Amino acid sequence: MDGLDLLKKDWKKREGSLPQLSYDQIYKMLWKRSSSIVKWIFVISIIEFLFWALINIFMADQEYWKEMERIHLKEFTVVIYVINYAITFFFIYCFYKNYRKISSTDNAAQLMKNILRTRKTVKYYIGYILISTAIVALVYTYFMMDYHVSTSVVEDIEKYSFTPVQWLIFAGIMIGGLAAFLGIIWLFYRVIYGILLRRLNKNYKELKKLEV
Amino acid sequence: MNKELEHQFVTNLEKHQNIAHKICRIYTNNQDSHNDLFQEITIQLWKAYPKFRGEAKFSTWMYRVALNTAITLYRKKKRSIQTQDFDTVDFKIKAEEYDDETEQQLKVMYSAIQELNDIEKALVFLYLEDKNYREISETLGITEVNARVKMNRVKTKLKNILNP
Repeated sequence: MDGLDLLKKDWKKREGSLPQLSYDQIYKMLWKRSSSIVKWIFVISIIEFLFWALINIFMADQEYWKEMERIHLKEFTVVIYVINYAITFFFIYCFYKNYRKISSTDNAAQLMKNILRTRKTVKYYIGYILISTAIVALVYTYFMMDYHVSTSVVEDIEKYSFTPVQWLIFAGIMIGGLAAFLGIIWLFYRVIYGILLRRLNKNYKELKKLEV
Repeated sequence: MNKELEHQFVTNLEKHQNIAHKICRIYTNNQDSHNDLFQEITIQLWKAYPKFRGEAKFSTWMYRVALNTAITLYRKKKRSIQTQDFDTVDFKIKAEEYDDETEQQLKVMYSAIQELNDIEKALVFLYLEDKNYREISETLGITEVNARVKMNRVKTKLKNILNP
């Protein structure tokens, strides 16, 4: 007899030795807390959205706006803020829409796909935040430097201005520092993402293997 | 209404609880993890129950949600330690029904299944539950051809473990 057929026979025989829970035992379970991955993904994603929104709000105090006015970037900053909020709301909308699609009654592949898609929305959002932060930071730095040079009254301009090589080094340090900072955030984010979805990703790949 | 729904659900689940227990048996290897997974399956079934309108049999619907919970939704609370709790307990019960050689073979088979990955376990489970390839492919969301190929690979894998 084939190994699996033997197992099938035994599998049926073993039904008698399975635990049997009573009505009350099952009833009590209905109110227990779920530890499902979808719940975790939802909570962590909301924290991520909130975290970046709060950082945005707390950074923009009165002094910040005064400074923006001083370097003539107030209008630019307002536009950036409006665009940023519009994009953030778009991401939240996509996230919510994808989240609602997750249903345990779908087939396994569809369920996994929907979960991964939901999480991917947040991943793209974080990517957007990091890239836009980098661009905006570079624009601000450029304008600040520009403003500083044009308003500084110095007798010996040669002494206080950068040579092209110094400019290059300065720009290099700025960009390098920024890249390192954002890189660390991205890495940190990837670790959370990896821990959360390692098993799911593996199972999805395994399931879709050989699929045309 | 809600009370009625609760009663209906618990009655159904009590009747078909074997399905969930068998999934727990395949995916866990000690009593604590078994109970933990069973509880999560119950919660997921209950959450999905309002959408279940009797378009399929409760048991058919339950296979899908319970398997989804085991493969995808369930997050182990702690790393479970590799134990052979079930094997030893179950084999004491069945020992007299098989000869030594068959008993030994089954023992090896069950521990070989524990070594399979989540998807392979799902295939074995559905096979042991007498599901045909159409049902297997619908539950997992893959093509029938893929289900067949995967199943054959699992069979070969198990055969190799059994006869090295």
